[in-house]
Amino acid sequence: MGPTDTRLRTQEEITARVKALEALLIEKGVMTAAAVDRLAEIYENEVGPQLGAKVVAKAWTDPEFKARLLDNATAACAELGIGGLQGEDMVVVENSPTVHNVIVCTLCSCYPWPVLGLPPNWYKMPAYRSRIVREPRKVLAEDFGFGVPDDVEIRVWDSSSELRYWVLPERPPGTEGLSEKELEALVTRDSMIGVGAVAS
Amino acid sequence: MTARQDATELGDARRRVEALVCDLPGGSEQAFDQPWELRAFAMAVAAYHNGHYEWSEFQLSLVDAIRRWEQGDGGEPWRYYEHWVTALETVLSSRGLLSEALLDDETRVVLATPRNANHHKAHREPVAVSPAISRT
Repeated sequence: MGPTDTRLRTQEEITARVKALEALLIEKGVMTAAAVDRLAEIYENEVGPQLGAKVVAKAWTDPEFKARLLDNATAACAELGIGGLQGEDMVVVENSPTVHNVIVCTLCSCYPWPVLGLPPNWYKMPAYRSRIVREPRKVLAEDFGFGVPDDVEIRVWDSSSELRYWVLPERPPGTEGLSEKELEALVTRDSMIGVGAVAS
Repeated sequence: MTARQDATELGDARRRVEALVCDLPGGSEQAFDQPWELRAFAMAVAAYHNGHYEWSEFQLSLVDAIRRWEQGDGGEPWRYYEHWVTALETVLSSRGLLSEALLDDETRVVLATPRNANHHKAHREPVAVSPAISRT
């Protein structure tokens, strides 16, 4: 049952192992139970893609903000109190009638947490990580039911620990009368990953 | 997250953690599928916060664990947080903070102890009674 043991573990076994690990580490003074609880609490319900949606809606309604966002996403998000982490470098790639963008991390699953929250399971799956690079049009159509028109170029961006990408989707037609708040509600997580559409 | 909320202690703590994990594989749709995943996540960050290893060591260890899985025979399903646990064990062992043998033993003890041993039975009586000090 060592760390490199590839034997299949049941949920019960892994639960027991993690529990045992926590007990040993607390006993050894590596950490306190309170610290673990505190960190768990921070993440249990919080971070999510609504933060990214806020940024997108602002970019749709404020051309100057959009220009700043495309120029330096990290700084523009910080204006809204989002992210602002040291050493962080986010790049926003903009969809257009001729270009559709999609993000991946081919090595592990680098992801713009401050704006999109925790990555979905499939984003971390080896299948997505390799296939989206090899056959993006097919993966989007077959796995996500998201057909990109043939005359639109698809660009796949590989995030790393140095640079994390996310997508600025196009503002849907017919939304001219909507407020920024109403627009926020249309922005889906998948549209900011590039595997889905904005709600309409 | 507004700028105001962000200034709270919780916001600060979260920012510090995000600075670490934004470069790592994360959780699931609901962040974590199982409670143990959240505990394992929090433990890795807590040990780092206490200065027991560099975050880059943990990151490399995680990438290694995932790579080993990828090079495997495919018999094992993809369970991300198992790799997280493996990475954590590996880093702690290399720092002399964890004995795998001891962990194996402790795990067996936990498994042998029925979880919530009595929680499937209705307890219809007070579980403890502290008698009145005096009666009138």
